[in-house]
Amino acid sequence: MSRLKNNKSLMQALSWIGMIIIAFIIFGIFLLMQGANPLEAYKNMFESTLTNQIGISKLILKSVPFILLAVATSISTRAGLVNVGVEGQLMIGMLFTITAANFLFTSLPTVLGLILLAIVGMLGGALYGGVAGLFRVKANMNETITTVVMNYISYFIVSLAVYGYLRDPEGFNWPMSTQISDSLTLPKLFGTVNIGIIIALLVVALVWYFINKTKTGFKMKVVCGNPNAAKNAGINVNKVRFFAMVATGAIAGLAGMIEICGVEGRLRTTTCQDYGYLGFLAAWMAWNNPVLSVATAVIISFLSVSGNVLEFKNNLPASSTQILMSIVLLAIMWRGKGRKES
Amino acid sequence: MKIMKKLLALGLCVSMMTAMVACGGSDSASTESTSAAGEKTTIGFIYVGASDDYGYNQAAYKGMEAVKAHFGDKVEILNQEKVPETSEASDVLEQMIQSGATILFPTSFGHLTPAEDVAKNYPNVIFEHQGGMETMPNLGTYFGTIWDPYYLAGIAAGHATKSNKLGFVAAFPISQSLANVNAYTLGAQSVNPDITTTVIFTGDWSDPAKQTEAANTLIADGCDVLAQHQDATKTIVELCEANNVYTVGYHADASELAPNMWLTAAVWDWSGLFVDICQAIMDGKWQGSQYDAIYRGGMAEGIVDLAPFGKAVPQEVQDEILALKAEMIAGTRHTFENEIKDQNGNVVCENGSFLSEEQVESMNYFVEGVIGTIE
Repeated sequence: MSRLKNNKSLMQALSWIGMIIIAFIIFGIFLLMQGANPLEAYKNMFESTLTNQIGISKLILKSVPFILLAVATSISTRAGLVNVGVEGQLMIGMLFTITAANFLFTSLPTVLGLILLAIVGMLGGALYGGVAGLFRVKANMNETITTVVMNYISYFIVSLAVYGYLRDPEGFNWPMSTQISDSLTLPKLFGTVNIGIIIALLVVALVWYFINKTKTGFKMKVVCGNPNAAKNAGINVNKVRFFAMVATGAIAGLAGMIEICGVEGRLRTTTCQDYGYLGFLAAWMAWNNPVLSVATAVIISFLSVSGNVLEFKNNLPASSTQILMSIVLLAIMWRGKGRKES
Repeated sequence: MKIMKKLLALGLCVSMMTAMVACGGSDSASTESTSAAGEKTTIGFIYVGASDDYGYNQAAYKGMEAVKAHFGDKVEILNQEKVPETSEASDVLEQMIQSGATILFPTSFGHLTPAEDVAKNYPNVIFEHQGGMETMPNLGTYFGTIWDPYYLAGIAAGHATKSNKLGFVAAFPISQSLANVNAYTLGAQSVNPDITTTVIFTGDWSDPAKQTEAANTLIADGCDVLAQHQDATKTIVELCEANNVYTVGYHADASELAPNMWLTAAVWDWSGLFVDICQAIMDGKWQGSQYDAIYRGGMAEGIVDLAPFGKAVPQEVQDEILALKAEMIAGTRHTFENEIKDQNGNVVCENGSFLSEEQVESMNYFVEGVIGTIE
């Protein structure tokens, strides 16, 4: 019996990898059509990203937000919700972080300041996610629609702040916030890589534990499986769903704090745009398994970092990376269709 | 489930390793190509938008093409379009350095801070930023006095308008844009002092939806000539043609998009400058040269110019404008000279004097007759 199960898992793992290879073959055909040599293009992508410290650093740095946003999304999915809101929750998390960093905690010592900023960032994301959660449980509004709309609203809120009270007075009227003080940047592990990756992996472990080993995690599974049965079993379905939305928001807000304090240092109107959607896709590519989403987040990060080299070294159009990413995503999701749990 | 995870991890490791091996196997080929290249200089250009936008990025791209044509085999060019003005730009610049680039052109205003972040870590790579006011030991900045041709275009608009209301679609309230709006307004007011310019900021260099909305608002408000400070000019130019509203382009000649309503445009020609900058760097003469600082050129240097006139501009108006252009090139006339008041009536330029390039590029006000706020 267990052997049968293992064989099944093996097949699934192999087919998952197989789909990625197929995606690269399809994209290779596209490259040929563009007059580029696919083998050379892939060689450039791997070499530039995986064989030197700068490339690996960028790969790790870029993976961090995708890991966190994917894990955040998977919590909501586990409670039976299709929450696309990590994009907006990330924005609001960044906004809260930069506001606190530039106006409240400017002169705090590093450790205290960063802990407070993490709390503030999570609070921002949790509030924004909580609003969508309220819409879901109080007004029975579809969370997919409300979160997408709220993502757009978050861009406007960020713009309003960046053009207004956050604007750098020495930035020649350019809409960007003042740089955060050096004492509030995340400590480095090596090179440009900061401790964000450790935080992200810790969060993954915590979420995995939470989903699989705690009572609330179990309740979420029941709600996801059959809300009516859950209700009959005495589970407060609305409470569980609201909690899932808030938890998703908090982790997305944490991702925002790490981006501001670890990578960007400023908030601009376009900072981290679309990261939330990529994180959402990373979660669904990983069948909403938090551990597996580390792998998918790294793949998305790899595509986005190495895609730059693909474009400028092989003279490919600027949209090539997006095309490659879409093919990989579609291929994996094709394989994963109908599958919710691992 | 555990086994599956392990297998997955193993599978990923194997696929990465095979990738590494594949790279290792073809290493000899890559070293060969670099040694054969010899003295090749690698130059990287990043653009915020598309290279065929009838605007800012197209102008910079043409400059790049001139560099390519001039140096031929001596250079390798790396191009990346649509690079956002965030740490994404730092990433691309650093990856270009990693691919051997020693000269980098971050060509958008907002690429400045990301470029500075990279420049401080790579003192041997030379950066030339387009349009900024800041420099570093290895970062120079270049731009042109584009407001001069914009003043001339304002004269054409001043003759064309019947409602005496001009419209202007800008992106961000940076000094460059304010200078263009002000120059354009002053040019039009030199024809008729009652003319006003209504300004809308879109907050984006090339968002067609925002451009359309802004242009439609201005047309509905009665503006019968539209000018712009956008990167991609196509949308507004085409919209003007469709609505029988005169249009003043920017950055590049887009007259083919509006055969009837085209007046003229303030345009760039970076080819000579880019070649010259690269030559100076390749000769080791960049340090201490005019480019190792805030470099500005104008119509005299051929960096900025007026696009060909459309058929909507009468011959006598063309002659008047070209005569003034000659005076400007000779240095006897300036765009911002004699008494100029801002929107609040404060005198920003005294009678008998003119504003320096530095004063123009640090403008933080609209002149009298501009309707709009800097927010």
